[in-house]
Amino acid sequence: MAWKHRHLVDVDVFSEDDLYTVLEEAVRMEEVMERPLKKVPALRGKVVANMFFEPSTRTRTSFELAEKFLSADVINWSSSGSSTAKGESLEDTAKTIEAMGVDAVVVRNKQVGTPEYLIKKLNGACVMNAGDGARAHPTQALLDLYTAWRHFGSLRGRKMTIVGDILHSRVARSDIYAFSKAGVHVVVSGPRSLVPLCVSDLAEYEPDVRRAVQDADIVYALRIQRERQEEGLFPSIDEYHNQWGVNEDVLSYAKKDAVVMHPGPMNRGVEIDSFVADGERCLVLDQVKSGVAVRMALLFLYLAGGGER
Amino acid sequence: MIWLRNALLYDGKTLRDGRWDICIEGDKIVEIVPGEGQKAALNDKGTDCIDYDLEGRLVCPGFVDIHVHFRDPGQTWREDIDSGSKSAAAGGFTHVVAMPNTDPPIDDPSGVRYVAEKGRQTKGAVVLPAGAVTVGRQGKMITEMIGMVKEGAMLFTDDGSPVLSAKAMRIALLYLKDLGIPLMEHPEDLSLSEGGQMNEGRASALCGLKGIPRSSEIIDVNRAIALCEETKGRLHLTHVSTGEALESIRRAKEKGLNLTCDVTPHHLVFDDEMIVKSGYSSAFKVNPPLRTKDDIEALWEGLKDGTVDAIATDHAPYHIDEKDLTFEEAKYGIASLECAVAVVIDEWHKRGKPFGLSKLLGLFSSGPGGIIGMDRTIKVGSKADMTVLDLNMEKKVEVRSWKSKARISPYDGLALRGWPVMTVVAGKIRHELQ
Repeated sequence: MAWKHRHLVDVDVFSEDDLYTVLEEAVRMEEVMERPLKKVPALRGKVVANMFFEPSTRTRTSFELAEKFLSADVINWSSSGSSTAKGESLEDTAKTIEAMGVDAVVVRNKQVGTPEYLIKKLNGACVMNAGDGARAHPTQALLDLYTAWRHFGSLRGRKMTIVGDILHSRVARSDIYAFSKAGVHVVVSGPRSLVPLCVSDLAEYEPDVRRAVQDADIVYALRIQRERQEEGLFPSIDEYHNQWGVNEDVLSYAKKDAVVMHPGPMNRGVEIDSFVADGERCLVLDQVKSGVAVRMALLFLYLAGGGER
Repeated sequence: MIWLRNALLYDGKTLRDGRWDICIEGDKIVEIVPGEGQKAALNDKGTDCIDYDLEGRLVCPGFVDIHVHFRDPGQTWREDIDSGSKSAAAGGFTHVVAMPNTDPPIDDPSGVRYVAEKGRQTKGAVVLPAGAVTVGRQGKMITEMIGMVKEGAMLFTDDGSPVLSAKAMRIALLYLKDLGIPLMEHPEDLSLSEGGQMNEGRASALCGLKGIPRSSEIIDVNRAIALCEETKGRLHLTHVSTGEALESIRRAKEKGLNLTCDVTPHHLVFDDEMIVKSGYSSAFKVNPPLRTKDDIEALWEGLKDGTVDAIATDHAPYHIDEKDLTFEEAKYGIASLECAVAVVIDEWHKRGKPFGLSKLLGLFSSGPGGIIGMDRTIKVGSKADMTVLDLNMEKKVEVRSWKSKARISPYDGLALRGWPVMTVVAGKIRHELQ
């Protein structure tokens, strides 16, 4: 099937068919990753630039590995030490890279709408969003979806509870879109001061975490950033951990076979307890592995049109 | 001598029946006579007479915009008094009031004199000065208001920010009371709005941009109203954007308080969903932020029932380098002087004319004129300040040809119905749409 999207901005434009096209492609990519020689020539001759204007280790590394496994040529452009540190604008940096013959730009930036901005400014290079502010992180949502789908086999009718700072979370927003589209009932939980005022437009909200995870198949803990506490949005890390930290007691309210996910990096003792993080039901490392496969699938679909491998 | 013939006439109070010929000599209106049949007699008056057949276009008193940012002195890469003045005339305005949040701010008599003198010499609309309420807009000491009024200050405001302390606002309302000059408050509670990018609501929940709560405006409007009530001072609330704030103003007016308010064209036509729909275009970034569809309806209701006294643009131009950025990096502000009148007339048409034409025209003339004590009537002997409208002309907004230095506006490319076609300032034709 030909892939009809030109840029990856967010998952909200994906149909359920689109989601499964990505997931099924990712299965084939995972097989490539398990070969002794983990490389296919699918994107030979294509150039991908990873432009990360925010610190990122796992997403950038995951993209880079995905690009390399597909034989694309890779350029890494990070904010420190590059011309953006010398005052060059995002527009000029992106145009400069494109003028060098880049086919795709993977971009992470703290400003919401960065992908649309680049699409407007660039001359046709494929733009892939690796996270824009608090708005979207589509590859994370797809790798989360893939991980859950591989684990459970089917998603429709299941329940997912996302716990934490919903207000500032691009992961929450993209996951809500992706999982809802796949037929998963998504409930969010966290302090009122860390959810949007109009949270009901986003997802069902239940402040009590134990009630929120009742009969959940997936308990998804979000990273709590300490600067939110410093901003005064919640009184203390301890109180947060006591009320919303995902521990074995919280998990006991979920289904027997429920799994725990986290986008990483984890703050043990804050949003997640070590017993849970290191427990058998925690899929964090599966998520990391899925990340490479899903990003390979996306790069392949966007840059090779889902055609010849 | 200039004759504007064959015109419909709104004289500042009513729409007169029939067509009229209006004669201007020097800076005054010298004759207003029923149209047609006059031409022969007039030809006797000599050859230096310019004659316009307006073919039924509408002559109104010169339009006034009490809220523009001309960035002069100090930020003239964004706009200056000359470019702003020409832009205003091209948009149908004969008089505009320039906000004092310049660099340095207009917070003493010499600053007011600078704007007043430069504003009188312009080739477009007359630019009138406004003074800051507090020195350096710091919210502490009130400015030398009496001296500033002598130099021509039309109103006082710390616009760009609210008056930072209630105490300073209270003193200023008392100090200004006997001068009959309004204190214009930019209603915002900075502790609530800090860092906010757009209205807090459904759209901000979905896209993750930091919200500016409605309470930011509502709280400050009510603070100002309480001070107005206590001091019996003269208060004006600018760019009101929420239904709740407007309701507080409505109740305060019912009590008989001495207050007025204005709304902007952008809050009358755009809601916060536009930010998402436009792909986070920074053209829609403004403070106060675009609100919701319900707020737009509330503001139109306020125009209809008279709670809103004037439409003011809050024309806030920026250089393209400061505005053509991602949404969060771009400055807050919408430039609109050259299309604001058309935006409002167009929406008035689209809404099926929710109130009479004379009320609509009053919102640009007698309404704002009344706030700054400026007579806006067309009669023999009055100053020849006039705005001529073609209520049915359709034309696209073309920002690249603006007289303003702004090159980004959310209206760019929109086809609008109802445009100003001629602007006459003190008997001189300052703008004419060919």
